[in-house]
Amino acid sequence: MSEQLGLARESSGFLKSLLRTSLKNRVYLIIIVIALVVFGAMPYMIGVDSFFIYYLFMVFIYIGVSQGWNLVGGYTGQISLGTHAFFALGGYTTALIWIHGITHTWYYFDPLLMLLSGIVPAIFAVIIGLPTLSRLRGDYFSFGTLAAAEVLRIIILRTTEFSGGATGLQLPSGGFTDLGIYYWTALLLAVLATLAVFIITRSRIGLALRAISEDETSAASHGINILRYKMLSFVIGSFMIGVFGSLFVYYQFLINPATMMTIDRWMFYPLLICVLGGNGTIMGPIIGAFIIVTLFTFGQNALGAINPALSKVHPMLSGLIIILVMKYMPTGLWGLKDKISPRK
Amino acid sequence: MANQLLEVKGLDVSYGDVHALWDVSLQVEEGAIVALVGANGAGKTTILKTISGLLRAHRGEILLEGKPLNHLSPQQIVDMGVIHVPEGRRLFASLTVLENLKLGAYVPSARPFFAESLERVYSLFPVLKNRQGQRAGTLSGGEQQMLAIGRAIMARPKVMMLDEPSLGLSPILVKTIFQLIVTLNEQKATILLVEQNVNQALKIAKQAYVMKTGRIVMSGRGEELLANDEIRKAYIGEVASKRKE
Amino acid sequence: MGLSVQALVNGILFGTMYGTAAIGLSLIFGTMRIVFFAQGSVIIFFSYLCFWAFSLLGIDPYLSMIPVFILALLLGAGFYYVLFKEAAALQDRISSLLIAVGLMFILENFMEVVWTPNPRSIVTSYGFSIITILGTNITLVRLIALLIAILATAGVFIFLRKTLIGTAVRATSEDVESSTLMGISPNRVNAVAFAIGIGLASIAGINFATTYSFDPKYGFDVVIKALFALTLGGIGNVVGALLGGIIIGVIESMASFYLGMGWAQGVLFVLFILALTLRPYGLFGGASQKA
Repeated sequence: MSEQLGLARESSGFLKSLLRTSLKNRVYLIIIVIALVVFGAMPYMIGVDSFFIYYLFMVFIYIGVSQGWNLVGGYTGQISLGTHAFFALGGYTTALIWIHGITHTWYYFDPLLMLLSGIVPAIFAVIIGLPTLSRLRGDYFSFGTLAAAEVLRIIILRTTEFSGGATGLQLPSGGFTDLGIYYWTALLLAVLATLAVFIITRSRIGLALRAISEDETSAASHGINILRYKMLSFVIGSFMIGVFGSLFVYYQFLINPATMMTIDRWMFYPLLICVLGGNGTIMGPIIGAFIIVTLFTFGQNALGAINPALSKVHPMLSGLIIILVMKYMPTGLWGLKDKISPRK
Repeated sequence: MANQLLEVKGLDVSYGDVHALWDVSLQVEEGAIVALVGANGAGKTTILKTISGLLRAHRGEILLEGKPLNHLSPQQIVDMGVIHVPEGRRLFASLTVLENLKLGAYVPSARPFFAESLERVYSLFPVLKNRQGQRAGTLSGGEQQMLAIGRAIMARPKVMMLDEPSLGLSPILVKTIFQLIVTLNEQKATILLVEQNVNQALKIAKQAYVMKTGRIVMSGRGEELLANDEIRKAYIGEVASKRKE
Repeated sequence: MGLSVQALVNGILFGTMYGTAAIGLSLIFGTMRIVFFAQGSVIIFFSYLCFWAFSLLGIDPYLSMIPVFILALLLGAGFYYVLFKEAAALQDRISSLLIAVGLMFILENFMEVVWTPNPRSIVTSYGFSIITILGTNITLVRLIALLIAILATAGVFIFLRKTLIGTAVRATSEDVESSTLMGISPNRVNAVAFAIGIGLASIAGINFATTYSFDPKYGFDVVIKALFALTLGGIGNVVGALLGGIIIGVIESMASFYLGMGWAQGVLFVLFILALTLRPYGLFGGASQKA
């Protein structure tokens, strides 16, 4: 098992440990490969424009955003309440650069543009993170991110000429023909996001992050530079979230605060997803994303079919779920398996 | 053997996965001063915390006058008559002296006697009466220790457990505190005293226990242990024959 | 008297409501280290209760305040026992924050679904009579709101200082373990703190309902400002929380006057971040600065 953890090894050692890994891990690996193949082939199997593909697309987006939050909230124990700000920043970066024709090479998505869309939120994270993460009190970080997100929202709403205000911006459209490309891009990015978090948390950085989340003062006394590691996870996480914001805007063709900065969908859901699935685990956000997106996509449609007013019920449900999870399953669903068969 | 007021039998206590106490047993006779000595981290505070209910033992019994304390809440334990004065005083610094004393008599068994207890405390510690409106945080170290003990007296305990009362005090104050403990004992208080100042503690204790890494390694009468060379070498630093009192 | 002075006065009056909310937050945080994020939504909930008592049953809001306050006390204790007891015992910050946020979501959306998102406000027949004090015009309801807020603050202050259980609350805020050793039951104290916190929310709710228009989503706004007030006032400082609220009310009002409502909010939030960064222990230096 200690080989599997490979905590103190460098990246090359990590690959080596991956190769001589245990049977259990090989089984995991095979399952993952099969899943990826299935997901990759899905559009061919059931038709690219089916609702199920759209549903999976949303799942992948949420996986990505949640992994970004997971890095900071789950692994480092810093509860960021500003996820929606990074998501929106990524989206607005893409939108503005595209609209003003500064750089644009491809229609469905542009890697360079997406990269930039990740960098802008990352910079924002640095600005917010430096003052708020240097305090011992985690609550201050949470409030700081929340307040910062609201400042951003106000700036967006007020600078109408630049950002389109409340109505937002329309992206230059062309013929939208194929959901498939968005789907595969989302799948790829979700895999990359998960992989990134996996590698980071299995490295020395991950060890430091865990130490910080368990006992900050103790970690500091062991020579870990608290601020640096918190900032690292926060900035990387924000980068990831921003990239997914960019992808989402590519898909939506429209950006405004009402769709990109809604607190329910883009701040609370990723948090709920991580907590439900298992905070600070790799599989947690994945499980959580599937459950939550299923619940609220199909659930909303089902309820809405019964009575349109009922479709408003689901945010209440998410509140209820998080209360129940925190009271009865604080380690989340993925954490339950450790309770059933403890593998220490 | 006189009445065993407080008895601890076969206590096993863990902090999560860390096993802290192994099969600890001790008895506190009514009206006696019992000392519990040992190095830092030996587990002395852990025993007190288990008796007062802050920690739960996973094995063993704690009996007060034959009645079990194990599964009671800390509040109930105080109400039954066991008070724990923690290490470092832990006064409520932002509250006044009087408020601290008032809270000392919080439990139902002590509240009706508040006025009486207050008088007793003030007669033992006149300085507290003078400073009764002052914030506890502004008192000197010695005064704070007096307040801590006074607060314990307000609870009208059957057993007082003092955790390192001499810690951080000047030598003169240390003497005063130990004198005070003896005085209280003369006034019929039963005291379980945890101390790193082994010399002074053994001098006043009728019975004593020595702890090391979570176990009781030696026990006996206070004066016996005081004369014991092994103890002296380990904790006091000199052999008996060389010591001039 | 200039309009800006009017804005100042209104800011003070409004700020007392933030202050009242902040005191509740302070008590809950002080004893249990829980950030009760749902406070704003709870306030709005009580605003709605008073509103419906007024609209449907014709009960004057100031009369309904008493039963609503008592209901609030019970509700507060209920919240503690049902939702927060375990998290408080474990001092689990993350859990409690998330539970509070979850509660906020439930309340907000419940109110939106059941009572619609349309803004409401209580308009009494006597409410808009204007009183002139020192040359400035103050509507009667605003004045009453101010008085109520001050009375509530005084009430809490006296409770904390003069009663035994109030002293126990202060002691627990400072040192939970020590107060447990005195035989003080943490659950009792916590439930009391929560009860008072929600009680104060009900008072703030009535004040809001009579002086301003409110809608289900407004609670979020309120709680952020209350948190700001709490940050300024310092934990455990009842009067400080009220003063903090007043400062925020004034800033909001003046900034609104000069910059317009939208930017005023932005200014407030930026100042909040600055306060968190630069003066986390409050302008007045909290009594006990436990992390």
